[in-house]
Amino acid sequence: MTDTQTAAVEAVEAPSTTKRKRSFKWPTPSVAFGAIWLIVLLFFTIFADYLSFIPYPDDKIRVNGKLMSNYKLGPGSLAWFGSDGNGKDIFAQCIYFARNSLQIGLSSTAIGLLIGGTLGVVGGYFRGKVDRVISIFVDCLLAIPALVLAVMVVSRLDDIKESWTFLSWMTRKWQIILTLSILSIAPLARIARAQTLSLREREYVLAARSLGAKNGRIILKEIVPNLIPTMVTVAFTGLGILIAAEGALAFLGLGLDESWGFLIEASRRRLEKAWWATFFPCMMLLGTVMAFNILGDRLARRFDIREASV
Amino acid sequence: MRYFLQRLGQLLIVFLLVSFAVLVVMRLGAKDPQQLAQKMLGAPVKPEVLDATVAKYHLDRNWFVQYFYWLKDLLSFELGFSQANNQDVAALIKPRIWTTALLGIYANVLGLLIAIPLAVRQAHKRDSFFDQTTSAITFVGVGVPAVVLGILMQLLFVVRLGWFPSIGDKIYPWESLTGHLENFALPALTLSLPVAAIYTRLLRGDMSTTLQSDFITLASAKGMSTQRILWRHALRNSLFSLVTSIGTNLGALVGSAIVVETLFDLDGLGTLLIGAVLSRDLFTVQGLIAIIVLLVVVVNLLVDMAYALIDPRIRQMRALG
Repeated sequence: MTDTQTAAVEAVEAPSTTKRKRSFKWPTPSVAFGAIWLIVLLFFTIFADYLSFIPYPDDKIRVNGKLMSNYKLGPGSLAWFGSDGNGKDIFAQCIYFARNSLQIGLSSTAIGLLIGGTLGVVGGYFRGKVDRVISIFVDCLLAIPALVLAVMVVSRLDDIKESWTFLSWMTRKWQIILTLSILSIAPLARIARAQTLSLREREYVLAARSLGAKNGRIILKEIVPNLIPTMVTVAFTGLGILIAAEGALAFLGLGLDESWGFLIEASRRRLEKAWWATFFPCMMLLGTVMAFNILGDRLARRFDIREASV
Repeated sequence: MRYFLQRLGQLLIVFLLVSFAVLVVMRLGAKDPQQLAQKMLGAPVKPEVLDATVAKYHLDRNWFVQYFYWLKDLLSFELGFSQANNQDVAALIKPRIWTTALLGIYANVLGLLIAIPLAVRQAHKRDSFFDQTTSAITFVGVGVPAVVLGILMQLLFVVRLGWFPSIGDKIYPWESLTGHLENFALPALTLSLPVAAIYTRLLRGDMSTTLQSDFITLASAKGMSTQRILWRHALRNSLFSLVTSIGTNLGALVGSAIVVETLFDLDGLGTLLIGAVLSRDLFTVQGLIAIIVLLVVVVNLLVDMAYALIDPRIRQMRALG
C-alpha cells in the first residue's frame, strides 16, 4: 500500500542502470533486526540442549537450596528473564517454546500453501464452474472471523478425536497445525487465484499452448514457477500471523501448554507483582511476529507485490 | 438497486452455507441421537430430557432436516438450550451483545479519528521525518498481536499509572457513564490502535495517489488553500477504499475482540464463546458462531451500501452494468 511510491521510484530507476550487477547494499535497520532476530532465535531453539547458558525449562531454580517459586527471582544474572510461579526459568521456557511456535507456523503454512495454492491455481486457470465453486468455498471460509473459526475447529477436533479412533494419532500439536492450515487456506487461495488469472494471459503461456502443451504442463511449468515469489512473500507475512494466532489460541486456553501464549495467560494476573513473567513472553511473540512481517514486507518490495498483506 | 440485490443474494448464500457447515461440524462424531443431545446440551441430564431434546431439535434425522428446523428456530431467535448455564442460548447472547458491539464501534470510531489526521499529514508531507516515523509505527501497529498490545497497555495504564481498574466490569453507558468509561476505555483503546494503524496505511496510500491527480493541481493553481484542498477535495476522494476496509477488517476485529475481552475480563460474546467451547456447550457454540457470522455479513452489506452511496462513480457504473 505505502510502497507504491518507492516501487514507482525503483521502476523508474531500474532501466537507467545499464549494468544489471546488483551492488551490495546494507540492509535497513529493520530488515537487519528481522534477520538477526530469526537467526538467533533459530540457533537458540535448535541448539538449546547444548548451550550451557540455557537451563532446562522444567528445572526449578534454587538459590542456596531455596526454591525460587512464586516469582521470587526477578530478571538478572541468575535468571535472565526471572522465575515464574513454579520457580521455573522464564528465559529457558521462552527459548524452548519457540520450537513449538516455529514448527506449528511452518507446518501449517506449508499445508496451507499446498491446499490453498492448488485451489487458487486450479480456480484461476480453469475459470468457469470450477472457479465459482472454489470461490464460494473460499468466501465461506472468509465469512467466519479467523479466530472464531480456529476456536471452533480446534475444539471440535479435540472432541471428534475421542469418538473416531482413526484420528487417535492426532496430538494437540497436530490439531493446532491442522486448524491453522485451514485458516491459511482461504487467503492463500485468493492470492494464488488472482495471480494465476493474470499469469494465464501472458505470452509465454500462449506460446506453450500453441506448441501443444497440455494444461497440466502449463500449470506446473509455466504458472507455478512464476507464482513462487509471490507465495513465498505472502507466506512470510502469513507465518507471522499464524504464530500470533497460535499465541492467541494458547492464551485462550485452547492451545499448547508449552507456548508463549500460555506463559502470558499463566502469569498475567500477577502483572503488578511480577511483570517479567508476562512481559518477556510477550516480547518474544512480538519480536518473532514483527521479524516475519518485516522480512515479508522487504520481499514484497523486492518482487514489487502489492496487497501482500492479506 | 440491482447491485444491492445481487450482493444480498451472495451474502445470503454464504450465510446459509456457513451456518450449515457449522451445524455439521458441531454434530460430527456422535454415535447416536441420545449422545448427540447430551453433547449439544453440554451438561449431564436425565434420560427423559435427552429424549425430549432429540425430539425437539429432530436430532435423530439427517443433517438437512436438522438444519431446516434449526433455521426455522433461528427466525424466531431460538438457538437451543444450554444445560451448563441452565438458560436458553438466546438469553445468554442478548445481554452480552452490546459489550462486543460497543467495543467494535469504539474501535472503528477511535481508529478513524486517529487515522485520518495522521494519514492526511503524512500524504501532505511525504517522506518527511513525520511521515517516516508514522509509517514505522503503523507498520508495527498492523502486526502487533492483540494479546501483546493488551498486556503492554495493562502494564502502562493499570500497573504503572494506575488509571484504570485491573479487572473490567460490564457497565453500559446508559447505566453509569463514568463507570462505563473506566471499564471500556482501555479495551477499546487496545482494539482501536491496530485498526488505526491499518486505516492510516491505507489512507496514506490513497491520499498520495489522489494528491497527484489533475484536479488537485488545478485546485492549487487557482489558488485554493492547502488545508482546503487536503481536507475537502483530496480526503473526500480518498475515503472509498477506507470504507470498504471497515467491512473487510471486521473479521480480524472480532478475533482481537475475543482476546481483549478475555484479557480485560469483559463479559461479552468473545468470553461467552471461549467459555462455551471450553465446557463443550455445543448449542451455545453453534448459536453464537451463527450470530457472529450473521453480524459480520450484515455489517459488510451495510458497508457496501454506504460505499455505493458515497461514490457517485460507482453508483453510476453499477447502474449501467
